[in-house]
Amino acid sequence: MTPGNRIRFFLRKPHNVILAMLVVTLTFLTLFPLLSLARDTLIVHPSEIMSVKGAKIGELTLFHWKKVFFDGDTSRNLFYSPLWNTIRVSLWSCIIAIVLGGSVAWLVTRSDLRWKPFVSTVFIFPYIMPSWTLAMAWLNFFRNRLIGGAPGLFTALSGIETANWFAYGEFPIVVVLGLHYAPFAYILIGGILRNMDSNLEEAAVILKAGRLKILSRITLPIVMPAVLSTFLLVFSSCMSAFAVPAFLGTPVRFQVLTTQLYRTLNGLNPGYGYIMALVMIAIGTGILMLNQWIIGKRKSFTTVTGKSSNISLAKLKGLRNPVSVMLVSFVCLIAILPLLTFAVESFIMAPGDYSLGNLTTQFWVGQGSEDIGGGEPGILLNKYIYLGLWNSVRLSVVVALVAGTVGSLAGYAVVKARGTRLATLVNNLAFFPYLMPSMAFAAIYLSMFAKPTLFIPSLYGSFALLVLVGAVKYLPFASRAGMNAMLQLSNEIEEAGLIIGIPWWKRMTRIIFPIQKSSFLSGYLLPFISCMRELALFVLLIVPANRVLTTMLFQYNEKGWNQYANAINLLIVLIVLIFNTVINKATGASIDKGIGG
Amino acid sequence: MPEIILKHVSKRFGKFVAVDDLSMVIDDGSFVTLLGPSGCGKTTTLRMIAGLETPTDGEISIDGKLVFSAERGIDVSPDKRDVGFLFQNYALWPHMTVEQNISFGLENLKWDKARTASRVAELLATLKISQFGKRYPSELSGGQQQRVAIARTLATGPKVLFMDEPLSNLDAKLRTEMRSELKRLHAETDSTFVYVTHDQLEAMTLSTRTCLMKEGVLQQYAPPLEVYHNPANLFVADFVGNPTMNFIEGVGRDVNLDEINLSVDGLDMLFTPISGSITLRDNQAITLGIRPEFVRISGTGKGKARVYAALPSGMETVVKLRSGSQLLTSVVFGAVDFRIDDEVLFDFTGESCIVFDSESGANLAIGTLCIV
Repeated sequence: MTPGNRIRFFLRKPHNVILAMLVVTLTFLTLFPLLSLARDTLIVHPSEIMSVKGAKIGELTLFHWKKVFFDGDTSRNLFYSPLWNTIRVSLWSCIIAIVLGGSVAWLVTRSDLRWKPFVSTVFIFPYIMPSWTLAMAWLNFFRNRLIGGAPGLFTALSGIETANWFAYGEFPIVVVLGLHYAPFAYILIGGILRNMDSNLEEAAVILKAGRLKILSRITLPIVMPAVLSTFLLVFSSCMSAFAVPAFLGTPVRFQVLTTQLYRTLNGLNPGYGYIMALVMIAIGTGILMLNQWIIGKRKSFTTVTGKSSNISLAKLKGLRNPVSVMLVSFVCLIAILPLLTFAVESFIMAPGDYSLGNLTTQFWVGQGSEDIGGGEPGILLNKYIYLGLWNSVRLSVVVALVAGTVGSLAGYAVVKARGTRLATLVNNLAFFPYLMPSMAFAAIYLSMFAKPTLFIPSLYGSFALLVLVGAVKYLPFASRAGMNAMLQLSNEIEEAGLIIGIPWWKRMTRIIFPIQKSSFLSGYLLPFISCMRELALFVLLIVPANRVLTTMLFQYNEKGWNQYANAINLLIVLIVLIFNTVINKATGASIDKGIGG
Repeated sequence: MPEIILKHVSKRFGKFVAVDDLSMVIDDGSFVTLLGPSGCGKTTTLRMIAGLETPTDGEISIDGKLVFSAERGIDVSPDKRDVGFLFQNYALWPHMTVEQNISFGLENLKWDKARTASRVAELLATLKISQFGKRYPSELSGGQQQRVAIARTLATGPKVLFMDEPLSNLDAKLRTEMRSELKRLHAETDSTFVYVTHDQLEAMTLSTRTCLMKEGVLQQYAPPLEVYHNPANLFVADFVGNPTMNFIEGVGRDVNLDEINLSVDGLDMLFTPISGSITLRDNQAITLGIRPEFVRISGTGKGKARVYAALPSGMETVVKLRSGSQLLTSVVFGAVDFRIDDEVLFDFTGESCIVFDSESGANLAIGTLCIV
């Protein structure tokens, strides 16, 4: 066959055309930034002209590398100690997330727990809510006088002053991240438990194995690869978390890599930041390769048979009521109580005073007055809040449309061409943004698009730049969702349409999409909600004209205008929860479905 | 005339050769089965003819029109080949009702509503599923889904119908029933059927010609009875027929011009070809192939054996005989009761015993075999 014919045959298939286009665009939008990031670690940036002696802007230098890795105390403060902090925090958070999420998963899928629908719905709230929600709630409860400012609810109610280690730094970060990602572990492990063929366990029952033995010798080994894979995914998510350490760690100067990244990129030494970003990407890639390897091995036991409708549930017997009550209270504690604290905090005039006389609606509907919060009106009357809300929604909708559509097409094409080198390449390229810490990703886009690049004009400060960075960053969610949808669909479903002459476009819109609409829609929903609650990605790129709610929250919080911050936070959480519920009811898609890493 | 011609068609997936240099002609109006064990390339072949898979090399034409040529860069898309395809798992669209499934292709041909509706009604009636028109596929049994899939495939009136193991998801009883339905359908629609199966019985009972493949290579392409009685090689002989053919291995020796003498385990046999002659090399290892129905148990047989097991199934009884170290299968008509380990006499009948070359597996001659 001549090469010309081969190309012609190749391009006749719509999925090949999609793949070819994606290779080009994604290389430009993901690989190219990585190279530019690598280059940025080696050059002198304008703000560094003072620290790098005798250098000119743009000159090549090894200065950053030396300072970050091989400069005694400087390196330790700058890089090594935040690195160890990151690793410690991520490890402990993972353990909390998996033990908690795994136990709840087992209780919900395999035991006769009471009120399962309530538990399984509300338990995932902390994951749907922005990650800093619990951090802010923690501060509302436990902040103390030692750092300055008013003490929190706990001290106000009990009179006990919380210790610094308890209120700020490593301990609360670990707890909050662990609680935030526990639902994620619950979703992944629960999925496996639910799909596991109950015959496997029943076969052991027939052979007279005890419950404990079945759990330890049959169930756990089968679930183990999923647990490991959950562990790695949670680890990498914890590692790139920015908001939680920023809220809880900064007051006591507890630094992790992401907060260091923010400091250096926003400060005088972006060169250091770029190196740290590179390190984080390297760790993330390593973790993901490990995960792929484990998942690859997992295929050796086919656990999903679809015949698992009649799982026999473990009887909790005497423990049934106590365990059920405890779990429900716990779920309320982590999912509902935080919302109450935001409401309470937003109605308080003087921070720290929780008496009835101190309640006010000033921060919601009050006119601005000079002595409070720089004269800003209450958030429901504040046009900037509405502007931010409008920007958030607009941005999320556009990002969701772009990422969801491209991701669905990518998922379709990758699955159709499964096993080819091109499909693997596109799959990896589409997944790559997942490995990039949001902050680093934003920094690269900032440096790449601040000036005209190729045919693209300078995008700094534009809405388009936010859309671009959001769409690429969330593409992995959408392409995963698209792939999951396509993998569940036998190829013949489409071929049956092809053979009777239904054109490609119609096959997509009338056959493939309708059948798997909930999976595909989750590819739109995930970017939408992630975007609504994203902070780290946008915090470097926002200019006043296109502020979004989350960055406003961050700014209010930094200024210490606690009531405004709580009110806005409540607003964001409610919007996210409402959107998720509405979309879930309408289409069956939900943020907790479809994230498989 | 929708005649299908394949010329030197190959398909490679990377280094793996799925179909190797396949040439065949499928006559108009025939019912051809592609038969072989799983992984032999039969489904790939079918999908290449339908246009769902792009061959690596070769040429395919349907009805005199070149639909694929690697050389000339022609690759007509499946919908322009005027073919229908019936999938193993039916591939019914779960979100559409039975009627919508059937009418979707017609809508696409811009048929008007009334015409579409009458065509759908006609098909539903033909396939005896009129009462299910408004149901969704998940509300139907396997057999009913199968009928819907057939109706959908027939809707646009293709001249060629491809079927990929369409009956393998049905239970045994339904399968037998659908077989006769398919055969009727073939006669009624007057179209060409190409049918993939790994079930040799299906191939035997349905087709006008069978194409047997192994590891991507065509083994034999002939009417089923010819494949049965005169298999091209050991593989074909062994694959086709149930119970399977008896094989006796040994070293033969030429006697009386064109006869062969073979003695194995105290069994002294003489093979006479029915036409032509056969000459063996010195010490040539050969394999005798004898169909079970040609092993006759009778009071006058010259061979002696003991009953190893008897498997009566009502209409016939399969008897396993042990003669020396050889285990032979015999089929006796009717339910005959044999006691295990009883001694019986047997001989070989018929003119379709075969001598194969053990090494190459090739069919050397066909003829009569008697015990001396």
